[in-house]
Amino acid sequence: MAEQSTPRVTCGYLNSYVGKNVMIVGKVQQLRGDEAVIDADGSFTAHLNRDAHLSAGNGVQIIGKVNPDLSIRVLSSLDLGTGVDFELSNTVAEISHQHRNLFMFE
Amino acid sequence: MSAYGGYQRTGYGAQGGEDGGGFVSGSQQGSQAGQKRNTDEYLRPVTIKQLIDSNKASYNEADVQIDGMPVTQVTVVGQVRAVNPQATNVTFKLDDGTATIDVKKWLDAGKSGGEDEVARFPLDTYVRVLGRIQSFNGKVHIGAHHMRAIEDFNEVNYHLLEATYVHLLLTKGGSAKTGGGGGDGDPNASMFVDQGNGYNAGGGGGYGGEDSRVAMCSRQAQQLYRWYQSAQGNTDGINIRDVVAGTKMSTRDVQAAADELLGHGLVYTTVDEETWAILEV
Repeated sequence: MAEQSTPRVTCGYLNSYVGKNVMIVGKVQQLRGDEAVIDADGSFTAHLNRDAHLSAGNGVQIIGKVNPDLSIRVLSSLDLGTGVDFELSNTVAEISHQHRNLFMFE
Repeated sequence: MSAYGGYQRTGYGAQGGEDGGGFVSGSQQGSQAGQKRNTDEYLRPVTIKQLIDSNKASYNEADVQIDGMPVTQVTVVGQVRAVNPQATNVTFKLDDGTATIDVKKWLDAGKSGGEDEVARFPLDTYVRVLGRIQSFNGKVHIGAHHMRAIEDFNEVNYHLLEATYVHLLLTKGGSAKTGGGGGDGDPNASMFVDQGNGYNAGGGGGYGGEDSRVAMCSRQAQQLYRWYQSAQGNTDGINIRDVVAGTKMSTRDVQAAADELLGHGLVYTTVDEETWAILEV
């Protein structure tokens, strides 16, 4: 059984993960139908699936596939409410890349 | 053993109480003789990938090791991806983004079925699990003593940082100042000192933070602080324009880093709000 990781990333890492699944925590800035603009140390567009329940201004954890235009096709989303420390999330994404042996199967 | 001594006094001692791990502290305190079984009984925060890797590296359940330390009790944080109620236990598939693992929560004989457990942890909720590593047919799972749903998402990130911190403490040890000291030191030695050193040891590669005064600061704040140390010379402080030019950091970053240093009382403003000087001690 090949283990798979879903790397934690911020916006800046997206172009290293085109075609792969990632986990990204950010703040919902805009909701437009089935698209959302999300800020995670830079903003990106998320193409939502049907069971996504986001609210503008809330934190959200997105798991999805990175498109070539660096938008994300959402596979799963989790509303995190308002108490999210985004700076902490971004730091964790960075730490997880510094210590890949703890966080990622290559 | 010295690495273990360091862990016992710092990571565990400082944080065990907060994450509910305090209940094994009794057995931990009793490890002065260094008995093998005793040393196994500490609660280790880990990522799921560490567990999977440890299983691949070890031959039997008795000597599961992570970073060269025997481990039996672990705590992990992850999202519930699948729930599988069975006659005697409920098996959860837990995913923390690094890997997935099965968690078995055994049911009390007296109580009926696993409906409660299933209802308490719907799919995709984040949970914290305290349990024992178990290996069966070459596959590792956790026998859960305790599970609870996570209400504050920041705990997820906190756990990942704690797991990283413990890993670094065990693999790199404290800094030269305390490194070899291990269990010999005064058990009441300030844990803040140790924590600072542990952080520095971890940051050695990426952050290079050698000054314990800025150990708790962000990388950029540390960078700014070091630049200020090297550039000092004028009691009127240095204006943000010169800082930006000197550090090659963006104005926004400098502002944020300076705010952080101000908050810690490491610098103060002088002639105006955007001119700072280091507070000498």
